[in-house]
Amino acid sequence: MVKIKYLLIGVLVVIIGIVVAFYFFPNEEKRVKKRFDFLSEWVSKSPDEQTFTMLQKMKNIGTLFDEHCELNAPGQSLSGSYAREEISTYAGSARSHFSQLDLKFYDFHTVFPEKGIAKVTLTGRLAGKSTAGEQVDETRELDCVLKKIENKWLFSEIEIVEVLKK
Amino acid sequence: MAINKKIRQFFFPSFTPKFLIRVSLVALFAYLFFGYLCIPFTIQGISMEPTYRNGGINFCWRLHTLFSEPKRDDVVTVRFAGSKVMLLKRMVAREGEQVEFRDGGLFIDGQKIEEPYVRYPCHWNLTPRRVEKDCVYVVGDNRSMPIESHHFGQASKSRIMGVPLW
Repeated sequence: MVKIKYLLIGVLVVIIGIVVAFYFFPNEEKRVKKRFDFLSEWVSKSPDEQTFTMLQKMKNIGTLFDEHCELNAPGQSLSGSYAREEISTYAGSARSHFSQLDLKFYDFHTVFPEKGIAKVTLTGRLAGKSTAGEQVDETRELDCVLKKIENKWLFSEIEIVEVLKK
Repeated sequence: MAINKKIRQFFFPSFTPKFLIRVSLVALFAYLFFGYLCIPFTIQGISMEPTYRNGGINFCWRLHTLFSEPKRDDVVTVRFAGSKVMLLKRMVAREGEQVEFRDGGLFIDGQKIEEPYVRYPCHWNLTPRRVEKDCVYVVGDNRSMPIESHHFGQASKSRIMGVPLW
């Protein structure tokens, strides 16, 4: 009986150890996913957002991107190479057209083709309400490339995948 | 008395090894069945109205398309990067066929197709285009909105996840 008790305590300690290690020492995949969590948090907007919060978020969005980021959106005027500051300004300007925004990411598939480079395929869904009261709900598949620079994963390429081709 | 005991046993079962094995097997079966074979989803959007209403609940039955090709008029689910967010559309043309819209009417290889499921007025015009190899052409039933606002077109067959159960 005593032996079983010690065995159970041992198993419990091992499980707690694994959970702690998993939580406090995230692997590279989790670090990459965290960048998307930040992007989602900073692009999203609540109806009562204060100006200070808005400016802070705009500034923060820029920190997620490489010095130059390649955007490729077929059939849209967005395609091209953008500087970090341009992306920050563009995001701020785009956010100002909405009273409410919610960006969420699903179905992450991450591969590391070489050291310091992560390729992520995922689904992005942007839902919200424009300042004119129009409902917006857009879902797209995205191919993203992130580079590890100074121990931070930064977006360097974002491409919108054409799932349905008219 | 015996019934009372059975009811009590049903709601407050004793955690015997047999019971734990049974619960684990049920949980495993439910995970595999609802995670991979019969995926539950909620309908968000009006693109399939009136056939499928916004807010409806359904299941994506995967075996239907796993062993056979979808047929014309089948309603199918089209995946993005995974199965968390999917599109619900009707398949109107197969590979090699020519799709065209003339004043709201659907023409396949120059022949007008009767579509009893399209109940709302439609005035779309789309120049003829051929469905590429290994692709199918999908459209929503609600075509009352401008053609630019409706998400439709050809999708790779590999993106077809299944059909709704009802």
